[in-house]
Amino acid sequence: MPDQKEINMEIINLIVARLKTIPSDASLSIGGDEQNTMTQEDIIKEVREQSVIGKQIIESQLFFLRSLKDLPVEINA
Amino acid sequence: MLSILITRPRYEPATHYLYHWSALIVEAADNGENKVFDLEKEKANRKNVESYLVKRTPEIVIFNGHGNQYSMAGQDGEDLIVAGQNADLLKGCVVYMRACSAGKILGIEIMKLGAKSFIGYREPFHFYKTEKMYFHRPLEDDYAYPFLETSNQVGLSLVKGKTAKDADEDSRKVCRNIISRLLTSNASNSFVIPALLWNMHHQVCYK
Repeated sequence: MPDQKEINMEIINLIVARLKTIPSDASLSIGGDEQNTMTQEDIIKEVREQSVIGKQIIESQLFFLRSLKDLPVEINA
Repeated sequence: MLSILITRPRYEPATHYLYHWSALIVEAADNGENKVFDLEKEKANRKNVESYLVKRTPEIVIFNGHGNQYSMAGQDGEDLIVAGQNADLLKGCVVYMRACSAGKILGIEIMKLGAKSFIGYREPFHFYKTEKMYFHRPLEDDYAYPFLETSNQVGLSLVKGKTAKDADEDSRKVCRNIISRLLTSNASNSFVIPALLWNMHHQVCYK
């Protein structure tokens, strides 16, 4: 079983892969100043650095991934 | 008849979007029966807000703009409502703060000081927008609309006379519908779903 550090890196890599699908013309606004308007590149940087904003992005991606667990296992389930 | 106060600062991109989207709430509220006080741009200052709260005693107060755990801002970031200073002015009001983090501490204080109900967000409000292209047409921005349509529903339900609980639930329904639409189409904006879920997870309704 991978240790905690490896699990974290797996999660980060998964999330970075998902974030790479954000179009280049999109920007994310978080918080109260212009510096918190971020492009896809900025968002990925924050996630890799696990900054406060990066952790929010990770959490939001995990909300989405966790919500998928409610999907039926079989089509007819 | 309802008495409604709305603040709509506009001084940078995020407030530019909120300004235009909250115009739809003003339009819905201003139906000839309600009394609507629309504090837009420079009018969204502390002096005006305090004066309207004291003299006009609105039943519904909708703030749009930047915020943090302790304060709600107006034009150019001026603090309009600050925990420990003037949150008591919202006594008896139904309050919606479309802003970052105001639900964490300020919203709780507003309720302790006698507001009827409060809707806001415990953490920063996230929203995507299209870079530059849609600055002149913020209502048509495919990346921004899921966030603003969802949060607008709180205000739209409140100005129709619904309770805070119902307004909160209505916005969650709109959010669920948008997510379903995004998941079942080939829309290019489905990447916004995690951020929508973030906002919904941190949306609070105190009553």
